[in-house]
Amino acid sequence: MRTATRIRGLLGTVALLCFVPVLAAQTPMLYTKWENFTPANGMPDAKVFSVAVDGERVWAGTENGLVLITNSKVAKVYTTADGLPNRVVTGIAIDKKTGDLWLATFGGLSQFTGGEFHNYRSMSSGLANDIVYAVALQDEFLWVATAAGINRFNLRTGEWSIFSERTAPMHEPWSYAIAVGEGKVYVAVWGGGILEYDIAGGYWKPYTDPDGEMEIVLFKNQGLIHDIVSGISYNHDTKMFWAATYFGMSGYDGHNWHNYLSTDSGLASDFINATQTRGDDVWACTDKGLSYLNFKTNTWVTYRPNKETGKGEILITSPDKKVTSIETATSLAHNYILNLAFQGDDIWVATAAGLSHGISQSHKEGTSNEQARASR
Amino acid sequence: MKLHLSAPTPQGPVRSSALVSVCLLAVVLSLALGSRAQAPGTRNAPSPSYLTPVAAKISPDGIKLYVVCEDADAVLAVDLPTQRVIKKVAVGHKPKDLAVSPDGKTLYVSNEWSDTVSVIDSATFQVRRTLATGWGPRGLTTDRAGKTLYVANSIGNDVSVLDLTTGAERKRLTALRSPHYVQLSRDGRYVYVSNILAHLESADESPISELMVIDTRAQTVAERILIPEVLELRHVAEAPGPQGGYLLVPFLRPKNLNPLIQVDNGWILTHGVAVIRPAKANPGDTAPHSQVTQLLLDDIDRYYAGADGVAFTPDGRYALVTHADAATLSVIDTKLLAQRLHRVSAAELPNRLDTARQIVVHRLSTQANPTDVVVAPNGRTAYVVNRLDDSLTVVDIPQFQIRGRIDLGGPKEITALRQGEQLFHDAKFCFQGQFACATCHPDNHIDGVAWNLETPQLGRDRVANRTLRGIAETAPFKWNGHNPDLETQCGPRIAKFLFHSEGFNHQQLENLVAFIKSIPLPPNRHLAADGELTASQDRGRTIFFQKGCDTCHPPESHYTAKKSFDVGTAAKYDTSGMFDVPQLDRIYEKPPYLHNGEARTLEEIWTIYNPADRHGFTSDMSKEQLNDLVEFLKTL
Repeated sequence: MRTATRIRGLLGTVALLCFVPVLAAQTPMLYTKWENFTPANGMPDAKVFSVAVDGERVWAGTENGLVLITNSKVAKVYTTADGLPNRVVTGIAIDKKTGDLWLATFGGLSQFTGGEFHNYRSMSSGLANDIVYAVALQDEFLWVATAAGINRFNLRTGEWSIFSERTAPMHEPWSYAIAVGEGKVYVAVWGGGILEYDIAGGYWKPYTDPDGEMEIVLFKNQGLIHDIVSGISYNHDTKMFWAATYFGMSGYDGHNWHNYLSTDSGLASDFINATQTRGDDVWACTDKGLSYLNFKTNTWVTYRPNKETGKGEILITSPDKKVTSIETATSLAHNYILNLAFQGDDIWVATAAGLSHGISQSHKEGTSNEQARASR
Repeated sequence: MKLHLSAPTPQGPVRSSALVSVCLLAVVLSLALGSRAQAPGTRNAPSPSYLTPVAAKISPDGIKLYVVCEDADAVLAVDLPTQRVIKKVAVGHKPKDLAVSPDGKTLYVSNEWSDTVSVIDSATFQVRRTLATGWGPRGLTTDRAGKTLYVANSIGNDVSVLDLTTGAERKRLTALRSPHYVQLSRDGRYVYVSNILAHLESADESPISELMVIDTRAQTVAERILIPEVLELRHVAEAPGPQGGYLLVPFLRPKNLNPLIQVDNGWILTHGVAVIRPAKANPGDTAPHSQVTQLLLDDIDRYYAGADGVAFTPDGRYALVTHADAATLSVIDTKLLAQRLHRVSAAELPNRLDTARQIVVHRLSTQANPTDVVVAPNGRTAYVVNRLDDSLTVVDIPQFQIRGRIDLGGPKEITALRQGEQLFHDAKFCFQGQFACATCHPDNHIDGVAWNLETPQLGRDRVANRTLRGIAETAPFKWNGHNPDLETQCGPRIAKFLFHSEGFNHQQLENLVAFIKSIPLPPNRHLAADGELTASQDRGRTIFFQKGCDTCHPPESHYTAKKSFDVGTAAKYDTSGMFDVPQLDRIYEKPPYLHNGEARTLEEIWTIYNPADRHGFTSDMSKEQLNDLVEFLKTL
């Protein structure tokens, strides 16, 4: 069972600005303790684009290099001087089998293996473009989202395939994110909706906004909420994919669309950079804070720093739209959220002003998450 | 042993006067008989099947020696007490190496051209099953538990990690280029993988080689130990004992950026070993710091080409290194080695030609092309694998004397081809024995670097090494196309400008050329077994012909017009833009590309080095089309 600090435990330590009784069954998990990694404690840049977790090791892609964090410290910063192809690291994929990292950068694709960077650029390989936004592994294939389409790199044969407006049903080439589902690969295309690749069949299926309107949402649950899709994630538990757009969040369960706007839900903002999922929870990285939806209970939680007090603010929106606000002593580094990753019960959040670590109740000093889970 | 065609070549140092006489005689004979004259009996002689032993491992009880024979597609079991071959088992095509399970009950043999590993029951000496690997399996080892097999794939440039319970491949780890030998550390914690070729760097930079370190617990790459300015890392051995823990890795140290006008004093090529103290890294350690020192095993006036096999005596006191192209076994006293490392700085040692006389205590003559050496568990005997003699040299270790020769049962006669191959691997035809043909053409292929040969713009217009595989019908030769045949290419000119010696006599040259012409192409891994092209390859094929690539690269002649053309690839110091059109067979195995090795990948030929569209009109191609073209080229 996933555990985090619950409201009952918080009553004595946090100030409730607006008390609303919450049933135990609906009580969401909350992060009330945050530690932040910024240039003040070793980060090479405040802006963090990407984060990935490999056991006890946390990797962060910043605007000025790749960062390894272990034991709550910045252990190593890798820059272009170390062989990184570009200072901007926009995406990270960890090959759990080999231990290698695949890095999306603004200067090409890089494989970080055994302490060395093996770089791929469009001039020297089949990479479609050197502006790479995201990478994802699917068996022996590496999928690469670039500014000029999607690459599929066969790691066994070295074959590069390109899917672009010339070879796939996409009218915009800007591919921002990739998620690997079950038998499918999903690509977020900025201005082009979502592309779904059928692995067995080898064909693409597009999902686009049915109303075709860039400024309004005409048919809310009849399709993708907007064509400007900036992020995509796949939930293997619920078999749903979730899309981040600049005009709201969309989920699709294979039959029905589930769309959310800030005006009718607890979503912090309609401008969303990325989504991630864990169990029944869907997380949205917005420009006004980090929100998550418990899909089963329809309860929303938003984390954001209070600019005036410097403390944290948690907003809980229950299904009946009632809002509970909780103040916490620590908070996210910034409310502009770019991405996140899970480390057991903990959470790592890439923001425009640092990397934030949301520490769960199960996380004890000197105790690994695995040990903590095993003890429960 | 009887030579079929010509007298045996002298084993001792070649005297200039004698060579001049031989050379003159060769010239006269050449004029009289014509350049393609054949020695009597060569055409109709039956072609005997040589064994060509290439690697050996000893059984844990020290009773049997298992020998891998690459030309016989077989493994032999030699009974060491009687020194006789007692068993033979057929394996896949071009077997290269062998691993023995920790309990000694199973042998694993890598079949380079079959892309498989044969699993052999050591008791019955029969193949129990065959496991699929990546492309071109070579070195291999089990882990300590005997449950996992690590296989270096020389063509795929990766390492297959096989589950020996299921026989399935668990994962592949990225290696460098042409991974060669695989060695399990004595504590079982790491697997070391050497690479023949270096990183693909700029043609203006010295090569950097790599020893890959795999953590056997996580089965991930823990470290990549960089070894600067060397090539052709071969075997790996770990020193035993309390003073051990360090690795010895034979290498070639080329100074390919220097003009090839002065080969003495280590100016161009030296041979030695890397002494590596691994950092015992964990996967992804932020700063593993393995210590690497380079030592030369050459003497100042006598070189020992082709450092290859390496083994320690059980007490760690001596290290034995074979010199495959010098028919020599060097014996290093490791106490003296330690003193040398202590007294001379690591910065100085790579270029010091006085090291060998300080640490090498014996030089023993072996038979032709010694590629491997193993030491018996009792430490009293070593066995050297003589690849081109179908034999083992038996070495008495306490005395360090040759005790005898074990005949593995190959043909007794030496054919022209066989002698040609021996010559290919014989450095004594070079000044001071500095290098052989095989030195720059490892595995009859390329060394992957560009060389500063004696070209018009001396020191500035470098040329890339070209493969010898499948070149019989691709004349003319040399990047400028000035050599109409291989006799010219390998004859007096190469003797003068490369070997700085009198070179081969007429008969030797003829046999050498016959061998080079016989070098086959390896199987194509990018082409389906039925020859059917993938959609991408097929689109690329259409582009190839639509763009007129076949004008200079016609399919009927190995994709070369056998002429020189100027396709705008001349560099600043090239005196001519006309270059011989290279054949495209197995082009994917031959980076870097273009005459000077500027293009590190096939893509770069067109994305960077074809700005004026003279190497085909390609600037209108989309990235997708270029990818398709590259996919087609890989099928050739």
